Amino acid sequence: MGFRFLQFFLFLCLGFYSQEKVVIDGYIKDAKNGESLIGATVFKLGSNIGATSNEYGFYSLTLTKGTHVIAVSLLGYKTYTFSIDLDKSLTKNFELGEEDTNLEEVVVSAEAEDKNIKSVEMSVAKLDIKQINKIPALLGEVDVIRAIQLLPGVTTVGEGASGFNVRGGNIDQNLILLDEAPVYNSSHLFGFFSVFNPDAVKDVKLIKGGIPAQYGGRVSSILDVRMKEGNSKKLAVTGGLGTIFSRLSIEAPLIKDKASFIIAGRRSYLDALVKPFLKETNALKKADFYFYDLTAKFNYRINDKNTVFASGYLGRDVFGATAFKFNWGNTTATARWNHIFNKKVFMNATAFYSNYDYLLSFGTNNGQAFNWRSNIVNYSIKPDFAWYLNSKNTIRFGAQALYYDFLPYNATGTFLDGSKAKFVADRRYGVEYSAYLSNEHKILPRLTIEYGIRVSMYNYLGKGKAYYFRDTIANTTKPLNETRTYGSNKLIKDYINPEPRFSANYVVNSFSSVKVSYNRMAQYIQLISNTAASTPLDVYTIASNNLKPLIADQGSIGYFRNFKENMFETSVELYYKYMQNQLDYIDNADLFINPTVENQLVQGLGRAYGSEFYIKKSKGKLQGWISYTLSKTERLVRGISNDDWFFSRYDRTHCVNTSVNYDFTKHLNASINFVYLTGVPGTFPNSKIQVQNLNIPYNTDGIRNNYRITPYHRLDLGMTYNFKKNDRRKYKQNIVVSVYNAYNRRNAFSIYFRTKAGESNQTEAVRFSIIGSFIPAITYNFNF
Amino acid sequence: MKNIIKFILLFVIGIGFSSCEDVVQIKLDEGSKLYVIDAFVTNTRSNQIIKVVTNDTYFSNREPQGVSNAQVLLKDVSSGEQFNFSYTSNGNYVYTLNVNDTIAKPNHQYELNVTIDGVIYTSFTTQYRPAKIDSIEAIFDDGQGGGFGPATKPYYNCLLWAKDKTDKNTDYYWIKAFRNDTLINATTDLNLAIDGTNGPVGDIGVDSTVFTPPIVFLGFSRYSSGNTCKVEIHSIAKETYFFFVQAAAQINNGGLFATTPENVKTNIISPKDSKTKAIGWFNMASVDAQKITLP
Repeated sequence: MGFRFLQFFLFLCLGFYSQEKVVIDGYIKDAKNGESLIGATVFKLGSNIGATSNEYGFYSLTLTKGTHVIAVSLLGYKTYTFSIDLDKSLTKNFELGEEDTNLEEVVVSAEAEDKNIKSVEMSVAKLDIKQINKIPALLGEVDVIRAIQLLPGVTTVGEGASGFNVRGGNIDQNLILLDEAPVYNSSHLFGFFSVFNPDAVKDVKLIKGGIPAQYGGRVSSILDVRMKEGNSKKLAVTGGLGTIFSRLSIEAPLIKDKASFIIAGRRSYLDALVKPFLKETNALKKADFYFYDLTAKFNYRINDKNTVFASGYLGRDVFGATAFKFNWGNTTATARWNHIFNKKVFMNATAFYSNYDYLLSFGTNNGQAFNWRSNIVNYSIKPDFAWYLNSKNTIRFGAQALYYDFLPYNATGTFLDGSKAKFVADRRYGVEYSAYLSNEHKILPRLTIEYGIRVSMYNYLGKGKAYYFRDTIANTTKPLNETRTYGSNKLIKDYINPEPRFSANYVVNSFSSVKVSYNRMAQYIQLISNTAASTPLDVYTIASNNLKPLIADQGSIGYFRNFKENMFETSVELYYKYMQNQLDYIDNADLFINPTVENQLVQGLGRAYGSEFYIKKSKGKLQGWISYTLSKTERLVRGISNDDWFFSRYDRTHCVNTSVNYDFTKHLNASINFVYLTGVPGTFPNSKIQVQNLNIPYNTDGIRNNYRITPYHRLDLGMTYNFKKNDRRKYKQNIVVSVYNAYNRRNAFSIYFRTKAGESNQTEAVRFSIIGSFIPAITYNFNF
Repeated sequence: MKNIIKFILLFVIGIGFSSCEDVVQIKLDEGSKLYVIDAFVTNTRSNQIIKVVTNDTYFSNREPQGVSNAQVLLKDVSSGEQFNFSYTSNGNYVYTLNVNDTIAKPNHQYELNVTIDGVIYTSFTTQYRPAKIDSIEAIFDDGQGGGFGPATKPYYNCLLWAKDKTDKNTDYYWIKAFRNDTLINATTDLNLAIDGTNGPVGDIGVDSTVFTPPIVFLGFSRYSSGNTCKVEIHSIAKETYFFFVQAAAQINNGGLFATTPENVKTNIISPKDSKTKAIGWFNMASVDAQKITLP
């Protein structure tokens, strides 16, 4: 069967062709700073033969011998058109100059601008950092994750919630990659800011559906964040002074056009500003509350065929006082090697390390103390190949080995007499192997399909104890049946999942296309969290003998159409997603420091479906987008909500996102966001019972998430003033003034029920809002 | 433990953001009728009360409506004795004790039968051994606050000194504190202990001869000079402990890290075909008590 498949596959790829071919390959870069350009197109004019530069700026285009007129283009850059007489393969690197955004220019070649129509990709949103910079931001801090939340199909449960939900997926179902290393917690300060420093980010791509075979490990989305390589032409310094933090980044060539680096740091300084004004007696005087991150990258282009990269991220949130200390952070390190085998085969080999750890401690003056920590460490190697076989086929294949080393908890309690109690969970180990093969195939001039398969294998390994439970009544703690001890690297349980992927694009005409896609994804790690918003202390858990991997199937179909010479891009997409083995919790679950936490967990089904409408204008003085999403997300878990489907916590029926900016002059720019979201569901009581004078809310129907809180809507305004450039010093500076939540709405995060203080029978409903007023901010940015 | 983390997180959030809470008016559906049985019987030499009431709409803001036509019978399964509770008012069923009599004995098993309109609702439990109170210590505080919050008038904190039996059996306790004989009854003061510690750690208690903080703080409240401070340690069943933990989580389930609301469990068994179900809780407690007057 395997051989047959391969034969068939090769037949499909090679097809029928005889004409003599040559290959033109190379890198496409930004003329100003030498950054490689992702997604630039190299096209033979008057045909549909073309290539797109990959994540490293590399392209490879197969053409027949002869004379061709070729255009190299990317949105926001001047299109470069040239004629070339090809009689043998050659390498040609391009540097594109930035388009002067303030001129309403006539576009010669529009190849790049209708990429949304021609590309087989669907359910993909790309944001470049220039776009993100224009969005009015909370407290004036430009933020990648908050920008993502303005896209159709992406929501959160509210302000202050870490992470984001994509098409009905939980926050742990997003694979967040920073230069290919996974980031487990993408938030600073409980979700108000993301860990990505905008000064160091080059490109952000969110894939919600039709996920290509080279990605795996999470079922709902891939957020691929690529860092800048660092200016390879000249020294550049960028920085900013904001309300919450200040930023500074330095980038420079080490060897001009060959090696460069970037190092970027941020630190919040609320503590430094507030402390001098606090009284000695104030608890905050001795408290720590800050967060910082440091991002660094180095690249060296050894020759035309070899480039190496090293990048790293280190970030931490620290909160604490004498009574308690609390901090968490991610560390990632990535090493990469790009190699071109023979103009047609591009390899990127990545090795990465990722560590997410968190710590909580509190103590009293008498020496009693409690310390708790947990971490999750990943090591991985991952070679990926792209074989630009001919102008019709691009074959991608590769493999990954990913090792999980995970400490659920390590806690120590110290008693008054100095004696200690230790609670240390066994470290848990797992390894995920995967391999994939896919082909992007232009079958017909109008039809492109991408088909592939990824196979993932997972081994849950010793050393450690594995717990086995007896089945019992649904929604109660399963009794322990047996504990088995396994030696180092002994297999406890394995899973294997074939994950087929497919997408197709039929170009109806030069301005519209229809796309369909299907993907199956498997996920071997899930977040244990039964709170409204995920806390930074929530523990991840890996698939085991008790917990099956999460599997999701998603199908989507979309119609894409551009209007007015690609001035407006529009799309409509429908999706349906079905999930198996999604985590839920038994009632009164005890998730904290529990060696047998797995018997507190249950696995159920999930389904999500919806439609996304999107219109975007990306040219002219007025730019921006409006999107509307109509969706439904439900779960079914045995023993919960009368064994019937219930709304998931992040279900939002209607969701409107608007983000628009307008250039008044070269110097002045204004922007507006407006969002409207249906309130999230909540479980409300329909009666109360009194036991031992406690007023306990009770729902006699037993239905979870039976009500909805009030809708969430918000308007943000921003204005940027760019100072006149000083020609001699090339010093750029701007001031950003923004107002978040401009009309001062108190959006409910949740509604909960409580007994009135001091009155034993009186109960009331309380609206809890994270942001109770409008938040103005001013930020100063510079760059030279 | 969960609550401490919640508190910390909320505190931290409060530093930087204008989070706020306000009371809102919302309309809730009316649930179907349930009987609520509140049966916490102790070995103290005072009249024992079992309450049989109904549930009410969430915002009713009145005393629960009593059920007056129930027969309440407590059986000591270990000795075969039976105790009939008789109705007084407001859903209270009372067993009047003689001076020499206690109806609750450690290590005995009990059955509760509540019969309403011919339907028998049943519950079973065991009474566990008490913990011994050594003393109550009054600690004077000058009110300067030591950093947290503004200075106040001087006050007293009361600390409990008590011992737990250190053997293989896990003991569960409910510690009730009274200021001037009034129960300090806020849910935040619901003081529960496993083997004298703020357990549980998994399912495993941490044996400790001396009760440890924060269990020893009596109601986390301030006492003034001349107040009395009384404390009772009630032995509770393991299931009762988890009932209280669950109830406390439901009663004030707000904030960023609120857990998913759920219905509290019950140990009252309703017959399958009963039209109206009964919920609530039945526990038999051994109690040790002490009282001091603050200087």
